[in-house]
Amino acid sequence: MSNKEGYKQVKRMTTAMRIIHWVNVFSMIVAIATGLYIAAPYYQTFIADDAVDKYVMAWNRWGHFMVAIIFDVTSIIVAYLYFFSRFEKPYKKVLPTGANIKEFFEVLLNLVTLNRRKNFDSTHSDSFNTVYFTIFHLLLAWMLFTGLQLYVHGLESGESSIGAWWPWILHVATDWTVPFSTWLMGSTATGANLMDVRVLHHMTMWLIVVWVLFHIYYQVWRTIFWGEGDISIAFGGTKFVKESN
Amino acid sequence: MSNNKEESVKKLFTTQSASVNTNRGESYYAELYAKCQKRLDELKQLKPLNNRMDFLESIEEEGLDRRDFLKWASATTAMLMLPASFTPLVAEAAVLMNRVPVIWMELQDCAGNSEALLRSDGPQIDEIILDIISLEFHETLQAASGHQAEKQMEEAIEHFKGKYLLFVEGSVPLGMEGYYGTIGAKAETFVDHLKRVSKDAAAVVAVGSCATYGGIPAAAPNPTDAVGVMDIVKGKPLINIPACPANPSNMVGVILHYVLTGNVPELDSLLRPKFAFGYRIHDNCERRAHFDAGEYVEEWGDEGAKNNFCLYKVGCKGPMTFNNCSIIRYNEGVNWPIGVGRGCIGCSEPDFWDKYAYERPMANANIKAPTGGVEKSVDEFGLGLLTAAGIGIGIHAAASYVAGKKEERGEA
Ligand code: HEM
Ligand code: SF4
Ligand code: SF4
Repeated sequence: MSNKEGYKQVKRMTTAMRIIHWVNVFSMIVAIATGLYIAAPYYQTFIADDAVDKYVMAWNRWGHFMVAIIFDVTSIIVAYLYFFSRFEKPYKKVLPTGANIKEFFEVLLNLVTLNRRKNFDSTHSDSFNTVYFTIFHLLLAWMLFTGLQLYVHGLESGESSIGAWWPWILHVATDWTVPFSTWLMGSTATGANLMDVRVLHHMTMWLIVVWVLFHIYYQVWRTIFWGEGDISIAFGGTKFVKESN
Repeated sequence: MSNNKEESVKKLFTTQSASVNTNRGESYYAELYAKCQKRLDELKQLKPLNNRMDFLESIEEEGLDRRDFLKWASATTAMLMLPASFTPLVAEAAVLMNRVPVIWMELQDCAGNSEALLRSDGPQIDEIILDIISLEFHETLQAASGHQAEKQMEEAIEHFKGKYLLFVEGSVPLGMEGYYGTIGAKAETFVDHLKRVSKDAAAVVAVGSCATYGGIPAAAPNPTDAVGVMDIVKGKPLINIPACPANPSNMVGVILHYVLTGNVPELDSLLRPKFAFGYRIHDNCERRAHFDAGEYVEEWGDEGAKNNFCLYKVGCKGPMTFNNCSIIRYNEGVNWPIGVGRGCIGCSEPDFWDKYAYERPMANANIKAPTGGVEKSVDEFGLGLLTAAGIGIGIHAAASYVAGKKEERGEA
């Protein structure tokens, strides 16, 4: 990338962060495509084989669970980096300090005034951005917990090929999603039901899709209107900002 | 309701829901065996209650022979997750069933569970057992009525204080101070009735989904404010046998377990016996190969239906339902819902009428928005959200474009 006159190049994403970003993009596409198939199989199988051979739902579920495991791993790394990254610790940007709140609203105003007003420093990841990404990771964490709860239903024997600790730990980590989901969805009966977990797992997928839509739009919008090459952060890891004075 | 939500959270953390331990090691079973034997010896000393019929005679009268009985005993031993060596004990316990007093109470219900245990083409061993248990009181079945019935109930409570099993069928209406359901000349509300009769019971068994979760009466908008027995009865051994209707085999299983061991069977987080509800329908379904293959019944009566394809797309909720009807079936193993070609409606799960019992996959079912507003399917809701976001973005993009052009022309 050649240096533009009067602009300096700033680093925004490390290589590790960019790898995680694209792994997440890939996983999300697979999770949505397979998840929707699991929910309501939307194509038919035309393979003229007997049932044990074609295995279409089983492969979809396999794909869904594989990307789910990838999400597990990247989420743990992201959670670690959130607090301990040597590059930028995102949690510092979501603490409700005066400076953060001011920055958050300045960036928001920049968006709603269609870039007429830009009173913040765009060299680093701003509060608005960080809050927006935090929302994503919370949604993803919720997908993980509800998804793993749905998954443990199939391990009702209490055993698994890797030992009894696996279903046990899944129960300990995710059983709370059952009463919590029923509380969220509302129920007129006694007892918390598993279906609410599933409904919310599905519904949250739509929230994530909406999140992705705005995410892509906003990155493109900033690139065009700020003129600082923001889009290349996800690819090359850097963007440009005007040299002050 | 907030109170029992807290409790259900607590329970979820303290029980290993739905995990079934079928092998607890030799020493455990040796100890249990000795304990059961002692218990049966004690029961043998007691006289049969209430001039009940003799079990072995009853079987003979129905034209079943001892071989049938032993076959039943070994199947039931397996159902209760006991080693085969327990079969003679189970057979003995069955014979001694007439020593345990049972009071059966009906609240807000359709008597479907009573029906289930009475109606079969020829009484089988499960039904005979339910015939010979010492049913001290059962409003629907007994001859007595009115004051006579009330008196009989009082006597049974008094006489078997602390010893009887209380079976409850039907939900408990709490609305209008409980006056949606009253019983007897003094108009005792169902909730008071339940509290009074359960006080002196050895254990309480909620039979059917209404008694367990409120069931159909508790479906939205739950006009009578119906709840399950577990919301009312506290500090007593409580066993839930949900399903609509509860499977008579599971009722017998619970009584047998109690007769045999003097204890309630191991329960899951919803207080259901694990021997019955530790299995997921979907994992023991004969159509599962078609599920994995992606071969589904698309509409009733199509080629797939004729070929016994999986019923997932016509709304089968087997993947979210825990019950053993895919294993033991109904009517002495004759058939079960999925076997006859319609999907599971999750009848053994909480709130099944609202959340499970629609013949569409969950994604296409109408659900209420969390705010309680309009009913939309999950996907309609999601696509609506997506459209709204898309429109918002479109407007913002267009406005930004126009503003950008103005700026270029120096008008801004
Ligand atoms: C990250 C961990 C995740 C896990 C462990 C997980 C697991 C599961 C499981 C077990 C099911 C039920 C499958 C079945 O019944 O056979 C499911 C369904 C589904 N998943 Fe996930 N999932 C995860 C993430 C996601 C993500 C990120 C999305 C999409 C944004 C997603 C979308 C769906 C959808 C749409 C369904 C169908 C639900 C329905 O029945 O309507 N999942 N998932
Ligand atoms: S019919 Fe129902 S329980 Fe059986 S495999 Fe299909 S979805 Fe599962
Ligand atoms: S198949 Fe499902 S709905 Fe039918 S009886 Fe069994 S648990 Fe109930």
